[in-house]
Amino acid sequence: MERENRFWRVVLLVLPLSVFAVFVVWPLFSSFWYSFTDWNGFDPNYAFVGFDNFVRIWTDRLFYGAIVNTALWMVAAILLPTLLGLALALLLDRQIRGARIFKTIFYLPICLSAIVVGQIWTWIYQPDWGLLNAVISFVAGEPFTHAWLARPGSALWSVIVAWSWQQTGLSMVIYLAGLTAIPSDLLEVCDIEGASPWQRIRRVVVPLLIPSTIVVIALSVINSLKGFDILYIMTGGGPFHSSDTLAMHMYNESFKKYLMGYGSAISVVLFLIALVIIGFYFRQLKRLDEIYG
Amino acid sequence: MANRPTLHVTPWTAALMAILVMLAVLFLTPTVGVLLSSIKTTRAIAMGDLWSIPGELFLGNYAEVLWNPAVHRYFVNTLIVTVPATAASTALGVLAGYVFAKLPFRGGGILFLAIVAGMFFPPQVILVPLFRLFNGLGLIDTLWPIFLVHTALGIPICTLLMRNFFATVPDALREAAILEGASEWQVLTRVAIPLGLPALAVLATLQFTWIWNDFLWPLIFTQSDEKRTIMIGIVNLKGQYTVAWGVQGALSLIASLPTLVIFLFFQRYFIKGMTMGAVKG
Repeated sequence: MERENRFWRVVLLVLPLSVFAVFVVWPLFSSFWYSFTDWNGFDPNYAFVGFDNFVRIWTDRLFYGAIVNTALWMVAAILLPTLLGLALALLLDRQIRGARIFKTIFYLPICLSAIVVGQIWTWIYQPDWGLLNAVISFVAGEPFTHAWLARPGSALWSVIVAWSWQQTGLSMVIYLAGLTAIPSDLLEVCDIEGASPWQRIRRVVVPLLIPSTIVVIALSVINSLKGFDILYIMTGGGPFHSSDTLAMHMYNESFKKYLMGYGSAISVVLFLIALVIIGFYFRQLKRLDEIYG
Repeated sequence: MANRPTLHVTPWTAALMAILVMLAVLFLTPTVGVLLSSIKTTRAIAMGDLWSIPGELFLGNYAEVLWNPAVHRYFVNTLIVTVPATAASTALGVLAGYVFAKLPFRGGGILFLAIVAGMFFPPQVILVPLFRLFNGLGLIDTLWPIFLVHTALGIPICTLLMRNFFATVPDALREAAILEGASEWQVLTRVAIPLGLPALAVLATLQFTWIWNDFLWPLIFTQSDEKRTIMIGIVNLKGQYTVAWGVQGALSLIASLPTLVIFLFFQRYFIKGMTMGAVKG
């Protein structure tokens, strides 16, 4: 019996594992190798340059900008969709007319591609006829309009708002799933004990949603590390690199300037950041398993 | 969900409704904007007339997009990549997920975690080596790399969801079938997979949406317009018709149609997949 099991294990795993190994695991390790070379993307001859690329990272002003932007992007990408998604989930978690329609409207953006979302929001921010400036000039007057995506001060934030618009539905859905797991007798006790709605949310519901919150935050962080498409179409990392993120910077160095070795070094840094976050995430999940069983 | 107060129109529910309607309008506005742009002439848009409800429907933008041979090519290319990659990644996930759920082995837990961790890494990390690999194989500017990479990158989520599903299939079912003389392969194809059809539907909708919407891999692996996919097409068209906003809007909507349709019809599956993939890390 066990011999047969062993046979089937090998037969069934060989294909998935080899595809995964060839196209994911092996490239991951070769990234480390290329980060120590000066490969330019097409020349078969390249040299081993030791830690030159990593030394260069320390002095790369654009890299610093990109890391600061990635951090900003992450913090905003955690706060905005999480809070908004939680609020929407709390509002919708009751018998309310049209709840299904509201839910559909709020998570519809998830199924749009980042490219389409970027395109849509480029319209909103369009300086001449975009909705945002139209509203502003209606409310406050022409002088207060702004070229949102063309100014270094506002480009990154404008993209973050567009990104949050798309991601809010995801956190709402996860929170809604978490809310269904809260035992209703617990909420009844709140009513009997005379807790106000605010106390009920603050002291009972939100603490019980901690597992969902960890998932939402981890997903936001991971998704924001990957954030590339929407920046590519909305700002391209500009103006003057003011909205560059690590992923964007890595792409520019590797595929615009053909500094593939240097690009690999940036991607190694990206990998290490992701590793820390994933490690933290798995640890939290394990701890939650221990608490909640 | 039980024992919630039943619906009465109180000031509180009225206020709640008002807030929800306002938020919904706010959320819909961007999408409505594209819809409006697609049925207006570029001239009308440039005059600042985008956000009004048009008196008449202008379909010229759609005609321009639908009769454009380049757009046909983008669509065909995207389908050629998306459908096989969805099928392949799901199939591989079924195989691996079945082993991890039903044929546990020493070290299997670690291996499973290592695969699932792949879900969380930024794809930029493997960009350069993959480019070199496919360049060496002479596959740059073909659709092969996109298909292969999506198949491989789909393995973590597909394995995760299928393992979690197969874990809910009772072991007794498998043992009974084996005692009856069925092979493991027969158990998988005749028992486990038919039971797993809902989970497969979840996966297929998710994978299809992600691969259809992808931008990074086609950007890296294709160069000529003949091999571009639809998302790149949107960006290209943006360059070609710099101010033809209406045409861009029409193409954006048409490009989103397949995933929108899937989403509206398979909403339940789609959301289940989103939350399952997310929660069961």
